[in-house]
Amino acid sequence: MSTPAQTTPNSQPAPAPASLRGAKDLVRIEGVHKYFGEHHVLRGIDMTVKQGEVSVLIGPSGSGKSTLLRCVNHLETISAGRIWVNDELIGYRERAGKLHELHVKEIAAQRRNIGMVFQRFNLFGHKTALENIIEAPIQVKGQDKATAKKRALELLDRVGLSERANHYPAQLSGGQQQRVAIARALAMDPELMLFDEPTSALDPELVGDVLNVMKDLAKSGMTMVVVTHEIGFAREVGDTLTFMDGGVVVESGNPRDVIANPQHERTRSFLSKVL
Amino acid sequence: MTARQAETAEATKSGAPELIKAVPVRHPGRWVAAAIILILAALAVQSLATNPRFGWGTVAAYILDVNIVRGVGWTLLLTVLSMLIAIILAIVLAFMRQSDNPILRWSSWFWVWFFRGTPVYTQLIFWGLVTVLYPTISLGIPFGPALATYILSDPTKGFIPAILGLGLNESAYLAEIFRAGLKSVDKGQVEAAEALGMRGTKIMWRIVLPQAMRVIVPPTGNETIGMLKTTSLVLAVPFTLDLTFVSNALANRTYQPIPLLIVAAAWYLLVTSILMVGQHYIEKYYGKGVDNLVPAAVNPAAAKAAAAGGTGAGSDLGTGTTIPGGPTAAGPTIEESGR
Ligand SMILES: Nc1ncnc2c1ncn2[C@@H]1O[C@H](COP(=O)(O)OP(=O)(O)OP(=O)(O)O)[C@@H](O)[C@H]1O
Ligand SMILES: [Mg+2]
Repeated sequence: MSTPAQTTPNSQPAPAPASLRGAKDLVRIEGVHKYFGEHHVLRGIDMTVKQGEVSVLIGPSGSGKSTLLRCVNHLETISAGRIWVNDELIGYRERAGKLHELHVKEIAAQRRNIGMVFQRFNLFGHKTALENIIEAPIQVKGQDKATAKKRALELLDRVGLSERANHYPAQLSGGQQQRVAIARALAMDPELMLFDEPTSALDPELVGDVLNVMKDLAKSGMTMVVVTHEIGFAREVGDTLTFMDGGVVVESGNPRDVIANPQHERTRSFLSKVL
Repeated sequence: MTARQAETAEATKSGAPELIKAVPVRHPGRWVAAAIILILAALAVQSLATNPRFGWGTVAAYILDVNIVRGVGWTLLLTVLSMLIAIILAIVLAFMRQSDNPILRWSSWFWVWFFRGTPVYTQLIFWGLVTVLYPTISLGIPFGPALATYILSDPTKGFIPAILGLGLNESAYLAEIFRAGLKSVDKGQVEAAEALGMRGTKIMWRIVLPQAMRVIVPPTGNETIGMLKTTSLVLAVPFTLDLTFVSNALANRTYQPIPLLIVAAAWYLLVTSILMVGQHYIEKYYGKGVDNLVPAAVNPAAAKAAAAGGTGAGSDLGTGTTIPGGPTAAGPTIEESGR
C-alpha cells in the first residue's frame, strides 16, 4: 500500500529529555497510517521512545491513542508506515524493498518483549492471580512451574498483593485486578510496557495504588508508553508528553512545558478540560 | 434523623438492640395448594399399590433380568460413544465456524444445516443401509493390507451405524452450543493472551474453551440426557439390543406391556439421575472463578504485615476481621469480574 501524503506538518519528534540523551531508540514509529475501512484513524504518526523513557499519550476520545498503542504490538495491522521495536520491524519482514507478513509464530515472539496492560484488565477469569501470572512464562517461555511460581510471588509482592495469590479475578477489586495484570505482563520480562488507560475503569480511590505501581516501574528504568487522562502522573513521572488529536500528533515535549505552556490551541482547550 | 432511628441508636447504646418480632403475613393459598397436591399424590400412590394391572410382581421379576440389564449396558454404551463422537465433531465444527478460511466456515455451516435439517430416524435408516452396501469395514492402509476388520454379521452389527447416526446428528446441535459458548467469552481474553505472546491453539484450549465450558456444559448435559432416550430409535438401523427394544420384546412375549414399561422407565430414570450428578460436578469444575465463589482466605501473615504498613500498595486492605456475608475479610466488595 502506498504511503498517503503527510497530513501533519506540525508533528515534530519530541526533543529527548536530558536524562535520556544518548539512550538508544527503543520504539520508532514512522509515518504510520491506519484505516478501519474508509475511516482514516491514524494520519501519519511519527514518534520515538528511548530506552528507559516514560512516554505519555493524551488526547480526546477517538483521537487514535488506543489504536496507535495496539499497532505497536501488532494487535492492529498498520495501513502504511513502519514501526520498529528494538530495531525489529513489527509485523513484517522487509526483503528487497518488499514487505512480507510475518508468520503468527514470529509475531507472537515479537509480542513477548512487549507487555500490555488494558483498560478492562482482561485477567483470565478461570485462573487465580498466581495462575494468571505463571500462564505465559510456562506456556510461552517454557519455564518450569516452580521457577515461574517463585517469580510470580515476587511480582505479586512488588505490586503489593502477595496475600491475594490464590484469589480469582472476581474476588479482587478493580485496582487489585489491574495490579495483577501489570504483574502478569512483567512476568514475561518485557523491554517495553504499553498501558492503555490503566486507571480509567477504576473507582477514584483505587487509582492511586495502580499509579504507584507504575511509578515504581518507571523508576526501575522500564520503558513505558502510557495512554492516560491522569495529567498529574504525566507531569510527575512522564519524560515526554504527546498530545494527539484527529489521528495526528499535535504537539509533544517535556510534560511540564506542554502542560504549563501549550503551543497549540487544540492542546490548550483539551488541557483546560482535563485539568 | 427520624424518631425511629433515634430509638434504635438509643437501644444500641444501652446494649443489645430490641429485635423485631413481627407477625408474619399469612399465605392461605399455599396451604390449599399443598393440600390438593398431597391428596393427589396419595391417590396416585394408592392406585399404584392396589391396581393389580401394574403387575409389581412382574416388575420385580424383570427389573434385574439379564436381557434388561444388558439392554441398559448397550443403551449406555450407545449414549456415551455417540456423545463422544458428537463432542469431538462439535469442537472441530465450532472452531471451523470461527476460522478465517471461508471454505472451512461454509463446510461447518453446511454440516449443521444438513444434519439438523433431516430427521434422526431417517439418518439412522440411512446408516443401516450403508452397512448393506459395505458389509465389512476395514481399518488399514488405503489399497494396502487391512489392519483391523469389523465384520457386520451378528446382532451387534447395527452398533457402528447406530453410533454414527446418533453422533453425527447430535454433532450439529452440539456445534451450535459450542459456538455460543465460544462467543460468550470476552474478546479481551484472547487479546490479553495474544499480547503475552500466546498463539491460536493454545489460546483456544487454555483460555477460551475452559471459560466457554461454563456456558457449554448445562445444555450439553441436557443433550446427553436427550441422547439417552433418543437411543431408543436405533431399531431403525436396526439395532435390537438396547433397553427399549429389549423391554418391548419381553412385553410382547409375556403379554404384560405395563410392568415392562415400568421396568424400562425405572432404568432410564436411574441412569438420568446418575448423569445429572455427573453434570453437577462438571459444572462445578468449570464454574471455578465465577460461580459460588467462597471468600478466599487472605494469607494472614502477609495481611498482618500489610496492616502494619509493610507493603506500600496494600493500602486498600482492611482490618482482617471477617464480616459475615461480606466477600473477604480484608476484602473490598466483589466488583464485575472484568472478563
Ligand atoms: N476495530 C475497529 N473498527 C472500526 N473502527 C475502529 C476500531 N477500533 C477503533 N475504531 C475507531 O478508531 C477511532 C480511534 O479509536 P481509538 O480507540 O484509537 O481512540 P482513543 O483515542 O483510544 O479513544 P478513547 O480515549 O475513547 O479510548 C475511533 O473513531 C474508533 O471508532
Ligand atoms: Mg482508547
